[in-house]
Amino acid sequence: MTMIKTSSWRILRNALQNFQRNIWLSLATTIIMTLTLIMTSFLYFLNVLGSEVLNTIEEKVDLSATFKDDIAEDQISIIAEDIRSRADVQEARVVTSEQALEDFRARHADDPFIEESLRELEKNPLPSTLFIIAADPRQYQTIASELETERYEPFIESVNFENSRTVIERLIAVMSGVRNIGLVTTVVLASLVIMIMFNTIRLAIYSFREEIDIMRLVGASNWFIRGPFIIEAVMVALLSVIVSTFVLYPVLETINPEVQRFFFSGQAEPFSIYSYALSHWTTVIGLEALLAVGLAVFSSLVAIRRYLR
Amino acid sequence: MISFSNVSKLYSEDGAALRSVTLKIPTGDFVSIVGQSGAGKSTLLKLLSAEERPSEGSIIIDGWDITQIKKWQVPYLRRQVGVIFQDFKLLPKRTAFENVAFAMEVGGAKTKEIRDSVPQILKLVNLLEKAEMYPNEMSGGERQRVSIARALAYKPQILLADEPTGNLDALHSWDIVQLLIKINKLGTTVLLATHNDDVVNALKKRVVTLSKGQVVSDQEAGTYKL
Ligand SMILES: Nc1ncnc2c1ncn2[C@@H]1O[C@H](COP(=O)(O)OP(=O)(O)OP(=O)(O)O)[C@@H](O)[C@H]1O
Ligand SMILES: [Mg+2]
Repeated sequence: MTMIKTSSWRILRNALQNFQRNIWLSLATTIIMTLTLIMTSFLYFLNVLGSEVLNTIEEKVDLSATFKDDIAEDQISIIAEDIRSRADVQEARVVTSEQALEDFRARHADDPFIEESLRELEKNPLPSTLFIIAADPRQYQTIASELETERYEPFIESVNFENSRTVIERLIAVMSGVRNIGLVTTVVLASLVIMIMFNTIRLAIYSFREEIDIMRLVGASNWFIRGPFIIEAVMVALLSVIVSTFVLYPVLETINPEVQRFFFSGQAEPFSIYSYALSHWTTVIGLEALLAVGLAVFSSLVAIRRYLR
Repeated sequence: MISFSNVSKLYSEDGAALRSVTLKIPTGDFVSIVGQSGAGKSTLLKLLSAEERPSEGSIIIDGWDITQIKKWQVPYLRRQVGVIFQDFKLLPKRTAFENVAFAMEVGGAKTKEIRDSVPQILKLVNLLEKAEMYPNEMSGGERQRVSIARALAYKPQILLADEPTGNLDALHSWDIVQLLIKINKLGTTVLLATHNDDVVNALKKRVVTLSKGQVVSDQEAGTYKL
């Protein structure tokens, strides 16, 4: 046991020496590895953000139908009841034109210009509207089509649904575009990491070949000879995880207000990517460490298999 | 006890470096192995340190059949079989002390053990006062003594010396041979492959002569003749 402890300590020390002897190469590897990790984390957060944005938009999808000007309130109630009774409709709420005007007034109470303009109007310009929430977001299309049939044609001016759907589709397209670019970049960076690590270790093995031959001669175990090269690679990996974490979190904290303003404006409790990263730090750092150590072990094992017999 | 039974070694199809060598070397023996260049002396020693594997036959050291030794077992064999060479194979950037300590570190010895043992071993080879010198500051004989000290780091049962005096003048050669005798007296089996007839004749120990890979003579208290 103590022998294993002593050996492990020496292997660690040798790994540190390797790192120091090739300090510039080690630092270069660390930088590329860090970039890879930041890129991967970026992809991860993009995914989180994407699904979060889609969620809020789905919640926000308000299928609405505006009634023609002269439809009686009784008629409106009947239609509302009709729609409400459908199985795929969770809620159907009527906002009459009077109510809409009142709301509008209330919202702009401190704007004298709007106040003035409204007073000059003889007729209420706002239509009565039926707001519909589907039981399942996928059912909006069906409900919208129903409202567009001849049956409702005499009463309904327009069905407002297309807009938000195109927004969702456009958003999905943009997100998947960004994700593809990110994926390609990550793959390129990861390959670069493997190449650089592989070559760093190849050089190290070459410059230590005399020592390695003599180690073999005097009965060094394989682990004693190979260990330092693998440990050195893992040390670079862990260093990269630390550096990328120290870059990532401040960046997230800085961009968070912008992200919130852009995607989640007007929400009482807007989603915060920074708080998400903080509360999921074990996942974030764990995934980074898994990727980094995986890349390091893979490239060092390949180099060792090739150049250390 | 080292025992070779019908050991052959073929590096390639067209010629055997060793042919059906059968040889028994009791523990504590001192054996000189002589023969012309290419006779197979180095090959014989390399089989014992598992640097090479025999093509046929079996080699048994103290009941341990090393013929089919697994790769992971080789380091354990090497710690029982010390080796020294004509070209010393010392680490140039390490002092005499560090070269010996290096071998002990590799074997997992504790730091305190190393600090205690290395001076003792260096004293045995009469180099204690040069412990802090680097190989290029030492004479050939001194370097060979460092390499012997390193080979002794594990207190091996067997010491293989492949032309250890090949690069040394007569005086230094004799120095090294004296040291090998001393180590042998302490209980280590010594196999000495050499071209040096003066050394062999002065030793008056067992001599095994190889020719074209075969044992052609095996004499107690023998002399060098080809
Ligand atoms: N690695 C190798 N590959 C192929 N052939 C080899 C190898 N090592 C040795 N040989 C051949 O095996 C034969 C015996 O070589 P060995 O080195 O054992 O001779 P030796 O008795 O030690 O000679 P010397 O006195 O010159 O050191 C020689 O013919 C040599 O060419
Ligand atoms: Mg030879």
